[in-house]
Amino acid sequence: MSGLLGYRGPSAKILTDAGATIGDILEVESDGEKFSGTLVPRYEHDDDRHIVIKLKNGYNIGISVERISKVVRVAKGEAPKFVAPLKVATKGLPRVSILGTGGTIASRVDYRTGAVRPATTSEELYSLFPELSEIASISPEIVMSVYSENLEPSHWETIAKRVSEVVADGASGVILTMGTDTMGYTAAALSFALKGLPVPLFIVGSQRSSDRPSSDAFLNLVGAATMAVQADLSGVYVVMHADSSDERLAVHLGTRVRKNHTSARDAFESMGVEPVAYWSRQGTQVNAREPPPPRGKAGGFSAKPRFDPRVALVEFFPSMPTLYLSAILESGARGVVFEGTGLGHINGKNIETVRKFLAEGGLAFMTSQCLWGRVDLNVYDTGRDLLNAGVVPLEDMLPETALAKLMWALANTRSGDETKALMRENVVGEVTTRTVQRR
Amino acid sequence: MEKAPGGRAALPFDPVSSQLRVGLEIHQQLATGTKLFCQCPVVKSEELPLSFERRLRPTQSELGKIDPAAVFEFNKGRVNLYKWNPESSCMVDADEEPPHPPSKDAIETALLVGEMLGSRAVDEVHVMRKIVIDGSNTSGFQRTAIIALGGTLTVDGFKVGVQTITVEEDSSRVLKEGAQAREYALDRQGVPLVEIALDHVVGYPERVEEIALSLGRLLRSTGRVARGQGTIRQDLNVSVLGGQVVEVKGVQKLNLIAKVVRYEATREMGLVRIAEEIKKRGIAEVECRAHDAMSTMKKTASPVVKRIVQKGGAVTCVSVSGFAGLLGLEPFPGIRLGKELAEIARTNGLGGVIHSDEFAKQGVTEEESVSLRALSGSDSRAGLVLVAGETRERVETVASLVMERLRMAPTGVVGETRAATDEGETRYQRPRPGAARMYPETDIPEIVVTEEWRQSLKSMLPVPWKERVAGYSKKYSLSEEAALQLYDSDNAKLFEELASKLNLEPSVIESILVEVPVRLSREGVDESKLNPEALTSVLVAIDTGRFAKEAAVDVLRAIGKGEARDVEEAASKLGLSGMNDEELSEIIDVVLKRNKKLLHEKGDRAFSVLMGEVMKLARGKVDGKKVSKLLTQAVEKSS
Repeated sequence: MSGLLGYRGPSAKILTDAGATIGDILEVESDGEKFSGTLVPRYEHDDDRHIVIKLKNGYNIGISVERISKVVRVAKGEAPKFVAPLKVATKGLPRVSILGTGGTIASRVDYRTGAVRPATTSEELYSLFPELSEIASISPEIVMSVYSENLEPSHWETIAKRVSEVVADGASGVILTMGTDTMGYTAAALSFALKGLPVPLFIVGSQRSSDRPSSDAFLNLVGAATMAVQADLSGVYVVMHADSSDERLAVHLGTRVRKNHTSARDAFESMGVEPVAYWSRQGTQVNAREPPPPRGKAGGFSAKPRFDPRVALVEFFPSMPTLYLSAILESGARGVVFEGTGLGHINGKNIETVRKFLAEGGLAFMTSQCLWGRVDLNVYDTGRDLLNAGVVPLEDMLPETALAKLMWALANTRSGDETKALMRENVVGEVTTRTVQRR
Repeated sequence: MEKAPGGRAALPFDPVSSQLRVGLEIHQQLATGTKLFCQCPVVKSEELPLSFERRLRPTQSELGKIDPAAVFEFNKGRVNLYKWNPESSCMVDADEEPPHPPSKDAIETALLVGEMLGSRAVDEVHVMRKIVIDGSNTSGFQRTAIIALGGTLTVDGFKVGVQTITVEEDSSRVLKEGAQAREYALDRQGVPLVEIALDHVVGYPERVEEIALSLGRLLRSTGRVARGQGTIRQDLNVSVLGGQVVEVKGVQKLNLIAKVVRYEATREMGLVRIAEEIKKRGIAEVECRAHDAMSTMKKTASPVVKRIVQKGGAVTCVSVSGFAGLLGLEPFPGIRLGKELAEIARTNGLGGVIHSDEFAKQGVTEEESVSLRALSGSDSRAGLVLVAGETRERVETVASLVMERLRMAPTGVVGETRAATDEGETRYQRPRPGAARMYPETDIPEIVVTEEWRQSLKSMLPVPWKERVAGYSKKYSLSEEAALQLYDSDNAKLFEELASKLNLEPSVIESILVEVPVRLSREGVDESKLNPEALTSVLVAIDTGRFAKEAAVDVLRAIGKGEARDVEEAASKLGLSGMNDEELSEIIDVVLKRNKKLLHEKGDRAFSVLMGEVMKLARGKVDGKKVSKLLTQAVEKSS
C-alpha cells in the first residue's frame, strides 16, 4: 500500500502537499468540519477532485478538494497483514493441481482498506475451504494473470503444456480457474490440445465475485476438487452451477459448453447434449445414456498444445457487405468459421468473396448462429452454392468450438485437405451424429 | 443538567449513576416507488411461488481470523431458502445480476433529512458492502452508503447529536426459522431505507421513546417516507456502567421502546450484579467442563430429558465450579443467568437447558444430581447445566456455547445482538459481529453531491411537523391532542381529502379515521381490516345519514373482527338504518309523554335523562346533535 494510487491532478496535489500516501491516517478539515480516517485508493476513471477516506466506522466517503481547508497526516499507514491460519491437509491424500489463470476463485478482503486480494497459496485456500483439507492435497499455482477476454491462443498453449506437466507429475486431477467470459472457448481449445488426457481437467470460475459470502466459487471449487479425486472420468470439462441454488453443479463437456447468460450462476449450458454429470454433496450422478470416458493410464499421453491464431470467426448479418468480409479474410486469416443463419447461410453476394478466399488457399467452415440444431447445406440453393464454393459444413458444432478447433487443426496438420479431414472428424465429442436433444 | 422526564414504572436503579446509555438507530422505509438498486416495485407479496437455496460462507478478515458471528452462522450448517414472486423481486435481488445505480430519489431524501438536521453531507457518495452472513441478504452483504454526518435533533429543548445518516437496502423477511434451514421472503430485500443513528443519551426510557417519536415525525414531514405497519424499525444500543454495548434490534412499535429500554437496562444491571456475586465468591476465572450424561440420566423422570432419552438423543452435563445458586439468582425479577443460557440453546435449535438451581422444579432428583456431580468430578458448590437434544452434534455445539457464555459471566454484560420481542423484552439473537466488515461496492460508481444539488435542497425543506400539527388544530378546530394523533396517523392525507369533500365536522372525521381505530386495536381488533376504504365508507354513510356517528364504532368493530365484509353488511347485521325527522319526532313525543311528570318537576335538568331515553329508542340511527336539537324544540313547545 504505497503511493497515491488513482489520485491525479488537484486531488494528488493536496495529498502530496500533506505528505500523505494510501493507508495513512488523515485528519481532513472541510468547511468547518473535521473528518478522520484512512486514505484509500481512487479508481482511475473517477474524477480528480475528490479524496476518499475510510472512516472509523468502516464507511468510505468522498470529500471535495475544493472544500478542503487542511489535510494533516496523523499516522503512517500499516501494511495489511494477510496472515493465514495454517491448515494442513490430511496426509496421504491424492494430489490435485489448481492452476490459476486470472479469474479469482478465492478472495480475501482487507476490511481496513477495502482491498480485495486473490487467495493463492494452499494455506489460504485450505482456510477458505476447510473441507478441501480432507479431500485432497492441493497444489495451487498461478500460471498467468489475464482477464479471460484478453486470452490468446498462445495462452491456451501455455496452459495445455502446464496441465500436461502436472499430470505427468502424478496429479489425480487438475482444476483450472479462470474468468468466465471466454471459458467456453478455452474449454474447447484445451479439449483438443489435451485429447486423451487420462485424468479429469475441470475448468471452474465464479459468476458472482469470490469476495462475497454468496459466491458460487465455493461450491464450484469444492465440487471440482471432490470429483478430481473421486470421479472416474477423464477429459476436459467445465464445472459450474446447474441452477440458481447452491445445490447442484453441472459437468459440461468442454467442446459443447457455452456461456449463455451475462451474470447468472447457471450461465453455462451444455448445448444440444445433456451435461456429462451432475455433482452435489450427495454424490456424482453420471449421464447413464452417454457415460464419459473413465480414467486412463498415466503413461502414454502427450498433449498437442499448438494453435495457429490466424482464424476469423464471422457472425453473418443481413446486408453484410462484401468489402467487410473481404477485409477480414484478407487480414491474414488462413481459415474462417462462419456463424451463418438458419441451416448455415450467408448472403448471396458474399459467396464470390468466399470462393476467392478458398481459391487462394484459404479454408472456410460453416456453423449456425442459431446455436441449436445441425447445419445442412443441401437443403436450400444458398447452401448448395456454399458447398459448391468449397465451404465445409460442421454439423452441430458450436461456433466458438469450431474457432478453437480450426486454430488447433491448422497448427497440427500439414495440408488443407488434412485440416479439412480433421475438422470433419469427431475428435472429442464436439459434434453429435444424432440430434436427440432439442435444446 | 438533564431533566428526568416523568414516566411510568421507574427503573429499579438510577440511570445516571449506573451510566445507562441508549443509542437510538431508526430505519425508515422510503417512498421511492422502486427498490434502491433495481426497478422492482415495493410490494409485499402474498404469494411466493418460486424459490432457490443458498449457503453463505464466512469470509476472512485481513488478520486471517474469521469473524465470530460469521462462524456462528456457518457452524449451524445452515441452508437459506429464498421464496420469491416476480412481481416484487428480480435477479438483482437474487444476487444473480449486478446492482443498478441507486435511486436518486432515495439519496435526495437522505440529503434532505440531513439538511433538516443540520448535518454535513458528503461530497461524494460511496456505496459499501457490509458483510451480513445470517442469510438475510442473498449476496452475504448489505449495500449501504453514508450520505451525511453530524447534526442535531432537538426534542422539547433537549438536544441529541446525530452521528450518521445512511441510505441502505432492506433485507429479506424471515418466514420460518428451523434448525437447519431458514426461509426468507425476497420481496423486502432491496427496499430503500434511510438509517439515522443518534448519539447515545442517558437512558431514561420515556425520553428515548420521545426522541424516537420526534425523529419519526420529522421524517414523515418530508412526505417522502413510506407509511404503514413495519415501515419504521428502531434499534437500540444499550450499555450500563461504561461496559459492553448490546444491540437490540427490531423494535417495531414505537410504544414499546420505553419498555424495551427498561427491560434491557434491567437485564444488563442484573448481569453486573451476578458478576459482582461471582467476584465475591472469589472466582476470577470460570472453570467448566462438559461430560456425556446419557447413562446418568437414562432413567430420569424429568419430562424434557426423558423425551430426549427415549428418542435416542444426547445429554451433556456442563459443570461450573462455584456456581451453585448463581444460575438461578435473580438480581431483578425475571433476570437470571440460566435464562441467558436457555436463550442460547433456543437460538441453536434446542428447547432450552436445565440448570441445577431448578433441578427440583424440572424433575431432576437429588440422586441424579449427586450422580452428575460425581460424573463431572464437581462438588456441591458447583453449578450444573444439562443440555439435551436429538443430535449429538447439536448438543455438543450448544454445550460449548454455554461454556463460552459462562466463562464470560465474570465480565457482566456480554456485547451481543438481541432481538426485541412483541412484549417489550429482549432475546439473544447472535454474537455481536466484529467491527463492521465493509468494503467498497465496486459495481456502482460514486455519486457526486454537487453544490447545485445541495443548494436545491434548501427549497425542498418541508413545513416543520409542529407547525403542521398546529395548522391542523387551527384549520379544523381540533384539540392539540387530536391534531397530533392525526399527524401521527397514516390517514392524515385522507383526512384532509374527506374534510373538504364531506359535510361532517372535522372532529368526527378525525375520530373515525384516527381515534376509533386506535381504540379498537386496543380491544384486539385487526387494525389492517380498518383500511382507508372501510373508514371512508363509514364516513360517507354517516354523511348521507345512513346511520349515526354513534353507530360507527360498532360498524367498525364488526368489520375489524371479520364479522362483516363491508359497511353495508355490518350496518344490516347491526340492524342500522337511517331515521328521518318524522320518525324521530314520534319517538320524542313518546318519551315526553312518558316523562311528563319528570319534566314538570325537574325542567331543564331532566334533559339528559330524556336524551338518554330517546337515544336508546333510536338505537344509534340518529345523530345525537340532531336528537338534541329536536328534543330541545319539543321540550320548549310543550312548556
